[in-house]
Amino acid sequence: MSCLSQLEAEFNLVLNDIDFQTELAIALRDYVGRETPMYYAERLTKHYKNVNGEGPEIYLKREDLNHVGAHKINNALAQAMLAKRMGRTSIVAATGAGQHGVATAAACAKLALDCTIIMGTRDMERQSSNVTLMKLLGAKENKLVQVKSVDGNFKDATSEAIREWVGNLETSYYLTGTVVGPHPCPTMVREFQSIIGKETRKQATEKWGGKPDVIVACVGSGSNALGIFHEFLKDDDVRLIGVEAAGFGLDSGKHSATLTAGEVGVYHGAMSYLLQDEEGQIVPPHSIGVGLEYPGVGPELSFLKETGRAEFYTATDQEAMDAYERLCRLEGIFPALETSHALAFLEKLCPTLPDGTKVVVNCSGRGDKDAETVFRLKHNNLA
Amino acid sequence: MAVAFTNPSIETCTSLTKPFRPSLSSKNPITLKRFSVSSSLSSSALQMEEQQRENGPVVLQRPDCFGRFGKFGGKYVPETLMYALSELESAFQSLANDVEFQKELDGILKDYVGRESPLYFAERLTEHYKRPNGEGPLIYLKREDLNHTGAHKINNAIAQALLAKRLGKKRIIAETGAGQHGVATATVCARFGLDCIIYMGAQDMERQALNVFRMRLLGAEVRAVHSGTATLKDATSEAIRDWVTNVESTHYILGSVAGPHPYPMMVREFHAVIGKETRKQALEKWGGKPDVLVACVGGGSNAMGLFHEFVENKDVRLIGVEAAGFGLDSGKHAATLSKGEVGVLHGAMSYLLQDEDGQVIEPHSISAGLDYPGVGPEHSFLKDIGRAEYYSVTDEEALGGILFTFNLSSSVQLTQIAFKRLSRLEGIIPALETSHALAYLETLCPTLPDGTRVVVNCSGRGDKDVQTAIKYLQV
Repeated sequence: MSCLSQLEAEFNLVLNDIDFQTELAIALRDYVGRETPMYYAERLTKHYKNVNGEGPEIYLKREDLNHVGAHKINNALAQAMLAKRMGRTSIVAATGAGQHGVATAAACAKLALDCTIIMGTRDMERQSSNVTLMKLLGAKENKLVQVKSVDGNFKDATSEAIREWVGNLETSYYLTGTVVGPHPCPTMVREFQSIIGKETRKQATEKWGGKPDVIVACVGSGSNALGIFHEFLKDDDVRLIGVEAAGFGLDSGKHSATLTAGEVGVYHGAMSYLLQDEEGQIVPPHSIGVGLEYPGVGPELSFLKETGRAEFYTATDQEAMDAYERLCRLEGIFPALETSHALAFLEKLCPTLPDGTKVVVNCSGRGDKDAETVFRLKHNNLA
Repeated sequence: MAVAFTNPSIETCTSLTKPFRPSLSSKNPITLKRFSVSSSLSSSALQMEEQQRENGPVVLQRPDCFGRFGKFGGKYVPETLMYALSELESAFQSLANDVEFQKELDGILKDYVGRESPLYFAERLTEHYKRPNGEGPLIYLKREDLNHTGAHKINNAIAQALLAKRLGKKRIIAETGAGQHGVATATVCARFGLDCIIYMGAQDMERQALNVFRMRLLGAEVRAVHSGTATLKDATSEAIRDWVTNVESTHYILGSVAGPHPYPMMVREFHAVIGKETRKQALEKWGGKPDVLVACVGGGSNAMGLFHEFVENKDVRLIGVEAAGFGLDSGKHAATLSKGEVGVLHGAMSYLLQDEDGQVIEPHSISAGLDYPGVGPEHSFLKDIGRAEYYSVTDEEALGGILFTFNLSSSVQLTQIAFKRLSRLEGIIPALETSHALAYLETLCPTLPDGTRVVVNCSGRGDKDVQTAIKYLQV
């Protein structure tokens, strides 16, 4: 508990520290490649026009262009800098799809910090390219990133990482990748990701002199969604839509649609919605988007659902795969399979929107890591 | 500089170049110069070279109206392609004046490709090169790896696709070796809704099944080439054959600063944004210019893209690094400028790797993008006049000693691993091609005075190379 308070205190300090903020801004610009563009997806927009030529305008917030290919680095870099400031020398993190692992390993290499990434064996199989990337990104001289495996997937990796951290509280720093866990983790991660929404507001003003009408993002635990939503929470005229993973379908029992099919409970240190059975045991989640495969969800998103400020829907594995292929074909962009869930929901959403509605989709990551999965699945289907 | 021709047997040619400038909000004056189209090679080319030599090398037109850089370059193509090349050249020139085109291209480079790419101060890499007394150069990386699709290639592909669209061409063809240029071309064709045919050697298709799949997902048709050794040079020949047949409807997106005029000039101009941004960023960061520029050289496009802006600045050193493969003496390398001889390949006169009978030697490099037996004619020219220096780096120096990566108990090898080094020190995994430029820093940095500003073109990211890296390192 006391280390959480310490973390919170330190976090509040850096929020107001000009030097830290300047250093972070420079790193985000020169190392990560911010600001990311807000790209008008002309061919995708055309695809959604109805027979009268009416339809919404689709914009993509290009978090896929960040260094290491997803929004994860915004948070990983900022927290690694925070850890260094606190005098910590080693970082421990858990990763699902591997994006957070790679982002953390990269940040640690840059800042010369030791790094241990914990990943579930199931996930390691499915995202092996990310595992290789993590291994190549060393921290100190002659020391590699340690990638430790645990049986299972992200939820098990998270439990193990917290266990590891608690064992080394003085020297190590637990770098959360998403908006779950005990306070101040959700707040911290949201703050560091909120740059996405801030840039979006500025770019929307530059491009059309207004705000987005609808913002769509995929939801696993919720970091990219909150990153883009947060800026607009008080703008009631901006619709916020989160899309979770329906896996094989909501009725199949094999999905990760926490906010749609879950119930309130405590998990990984916070009260939130989670997928639990009648005995309160965690139901193993499933999604083709490995980063969405989490039985819980960030507490702030649970709150937004309960207050009705944000709407939550789902997309199946197949719908996500179709969306993946659609964006490749129409715009030459490979979206991450996680992001593909948000894109998939456009199929249902766009026909309901008035002409000229401005929709911004958070293109949270690139899909190079998923090409092999899609390749294998297509070949199996054809075989 | 105008070179007027007095020989009446050829068309009048005011050989002035119009630089193609995707407009930055810069205050550089746009020098209005014009090409006229000249589609015949004649002895006046040699005459011109004479005149130019008298006038001094630096003020030379690059290229002149024949598409020559000194004696290099030109248009060694079948007659059927001459018209297409002239048409392409006129189109390029007129678009250089077209504000709408420039604006559209700028917008796409910004929102789709993600420009401008940052100039990143590599603090830990700089630290690594400090000598015991604390002195050493300052290393900056021009982050072309952050572009959409992960390399500099897209700058040119997207501009050429836009140009093709303006020309009313609906069909695009390209050749590809390992697939990177193919994927970049397929990407831009998807973006613009153009038909896309990629020629790829059947052997390469087997080795790069995932890239083939990517191209198909992007909507391209990938055609296998079975002739010859079924690799890149055969795919190139097939693509040229296609273009000859379908010239009216088709645009050929050449991926590098090689090939017949106007390609070397055009591709260079489309990549010149790299150097232009670098100048602006250097000014912002330290109020000056870079002292040294380093880039890897395969065909030469990323290097020309960075160098071009600074060719007239004699105080900026230009260094190109080629692939020495298994070593320059092994016969298995791609170090064209070090070991090649002058000849004609793929429509241009340039250095190339050829045997005594003038047959093209199959090159080797661990990095597919540098695995080309030729080199852009402008590089040949810059080498000959001594404006740029060219060195080479072996596979091992680029990738590294086998023992270093995973066997921690072994002592650190003398030949460091550029690929691993950047990953470890900066958390950036460079493409194997780029690693060649980074490897050369080992030789270069000890010779540089304290505070020298070095900009390395980080031309691509290395996600595509991790499997190769692991395989090679596990011998």
